[in-house]
Amino acid sequence: MDAISTPKRYDLDDDGVVVIIGSGAGGGTLAHELTRRGVEVVLMEAGKHLTAEDFVNDEWGGYEMLSWLDKRTASGSWRVAKDHPEAPSWHCQVVGGTTTHWSGCCYRLIADEMRARSVYGEIPGTSLIDWPITLEELEPYYDLAETKMGVTGTNGLPPLPPNNNFKVMYWGASRLGFDVSTGRHAINSVDYDGRPATIQDGFTITGDKTGSRWSTLNVEIPRALATGKLDLRPQSRAVQVEHDAAGKASGVVYVDGNGVRQRQKARAVVLAGNCVESPRLLLHSASGRFPNGLANGWGHVGRHYLRHVIQTVWSVFDKPVNMHRGEIMTGLVRDFVRHDPARGFAGGYYVELNSMGLPTTAAFLEPGWWGRDFVSVIEQYSHMAGMLLSGEDMPQPGNRVTLTDELDAFGVPVANIHYDDHPNDLRLRSHGYKTMTAIHKAAGAKRIIEAPAYPASHNLGSNRMAARAEDGVLDGNGRAHEMRNLFVADGSSFATGGACNPTLTIVALAIRQADFIAGQMAKGEL
Amino acid sequence: MSVVAHKDPKLAGRAIELPEGPEWVSALRVFDGHVAETLASVAHTLYPHDGLPERVYRRVVAQFDRMAAASPNAAQMMAQLVDLVDEAMPLPFVELSDGYRTEVLKRIEGTPAFRLVQRSTVRFLYDDIEVWQAFGYEGASVHLGGYVKRGFDDLDWLPDPPAAS
Repeated sequence: MDAISTPKRYDLDDDGVVVIIGSGAGGGTLAHELTRRGVEVVLMEAGKHLTAEDFVNDEWGGYEMLSWLDKRTASGSWRVAKDHPEAPSWHCQVVGGTTTHWSGCCYRLIADEMRARSVYGEIPGTSLIDWPITLEELEPYYDLAETKMGVTGTNGLPPLPPNNNFKVMYWGASRLGFDVSTGRHAINSVDYDGRPATIQDGFTITGDKTGSRWSTLNVEIPRALATGKLDLRPQSRAVQVEHDAAGKASGVVYVDGNGVRQRQKARAVVLAGNCVESPRLLLHSASGRFPNGLANGWGHVGRHYLRHVIQTVWSVFDKPVNMHRGEIMTGLVRDFVRHDPARGFAGGYYVELNSMGLPTTAAFLEPGWWGRDFVSVIEQYSHMAGMLLSGEDMPQPGNRVTLTDELDAFGVPVANIHYDDHPNDLRLRSHGYKTMTAIHKAAGAKRIIEAPAYPASHNLGSNRMAARAEDGVLDGNGRAHEMRNLFVADGSSFATGGACNPTLTIVALAIRQADFIAGQMAKGEL
Repeated sequence: MSVVAHKDPKLAGRAIELPEGPEWVSALRVFDGHVAETLASVAHTLYPHDGLPERVYRRVVAQFDRMAAASPNAAQMMAQLVDLVDEAMPLPFVELSDGYRTEVLKRIEGTPAFRLVQRSTVRFLYDDIEVWQAFGYEGASVHLGGYVKRGFDDLDWLPDPPAAS
């Protein structure tokens, strides 16, 4: 990290600053894009400012170092509520947010996914809508995001090379006639933008020690600091967003690293704390004027929570695979992303390569499984190959983040995540298991385990954007319908989930939002 | 398929070393001998790897002991589990045959105490470097230059994919 000799510090009473809460893909990118445009930004992050030096090549060590570990509760029919009742979602609490942990997959939404309600039709039990923006409007920002992130397969950058686990997936998928490749990643296959090519260490999810993977920690935040316009405040836990008599956001109350409560005034406030914390803050910021929470006049805050249909298949082969060696998600099958009603469900999915080390493979293979059969599988760890499915889940109004009666150490109510599987999700899930099983079978698997979902890491939709205020929290610029200087810059803004890993879209939306905010400021409207 | 495994150098100092033989229990802070031996026996029954030495299960119990020292709730759950498995049959758990031990654990599968011990066993047993080596997981690699020149693509029993485009 480039140390900045004199860190920028804005006054707590400076109401000219944009306050961003959360420094991950959305917040960290927006901080850079705004400061680049001359906007003064205070970036609050609940976690510490760690560096590559601090990270460890260790699955549990990295999990404990990076994850948001505060208690949450879970309810609903989803399997996660049973397996991980106090940790139903998985994201980070550290400068760089979940970009310190992600696997670098970079895929674009497709046009049909952004018109889900129009294309899929009415599906009982869902709250499907179309996005308020089109793919065409987003494409220039996808281009900018891919360039910024150094996405392989774009801008003449070569794809990541096949690893052992991919060779298995490739052989099975190509025998079945599928469209299979190593895919696209914000992980350098060659030196790019001052960052080295990957050394295939296999520990992208515990923090990238070499800097070959794009993250806001190693790209966006240092560049934002270099503008002299960014005041980065790690270990600053936002607990409330305040508003003035006119009903505009006026500041953020937070608890600093010494446990002291502070109030930072603001010209505009941006929530980018991931899909549980952002709605939690809005709900907890209820006031006399906004009794149900901020931006919640239509009751959408926290609702329509999405987490993708995620599942893994682990298979045992006669010969060694050593899936732990190398980048973990360099494989993609694209045949099932298009909506095809003939398959019996709406939406689509990608099959992606996935590997885990022994510690987490054992933990997620089937939580609760014990005895001789489990032992006979896990003992063959070195002969195992893995894949992951990422598919579109259906928005439902009852799948939501709410506040419980239990308070955390900061006096903020603990969040509950409720999620019931929709029949469409289960049909897609079954179809996906069959596809993945067929791929590994075609490659010669002797034992295939259909593993359940682990804690949700593609958290989306809980403050969704919608063309009309009565359908969602935000407009197409990620601005609250009910509060003209309150924005959301994380995945909670997604109108629907699509099938692909969300980070590229979060980054593209953040760049677009920076254009909008800077434009509004220039016009004197913000 | 035994390999040489590496813990991240930052964490290497955290490994638990226990005396060999029955005196291993003297290294524990919270558990008495009976609780420790019973929990080791439970861990072994849950995950009966014939090729692994008893000390890997003892190290799991040493981790439980740390959990119990840090959390009264965890300590209570562990003690509760020992009571549950000891009361299930006319013999203490450690004196039961393998078949009966398995039966006893199946009977209490739904209890919070079982769940905690089972999940924690997975958490620590498969994070033990001796277990990594036994099952072919090599662990930390960045300090060795990653796997780019150490076999990330050395699988040779399937044809190589065509050069990426």
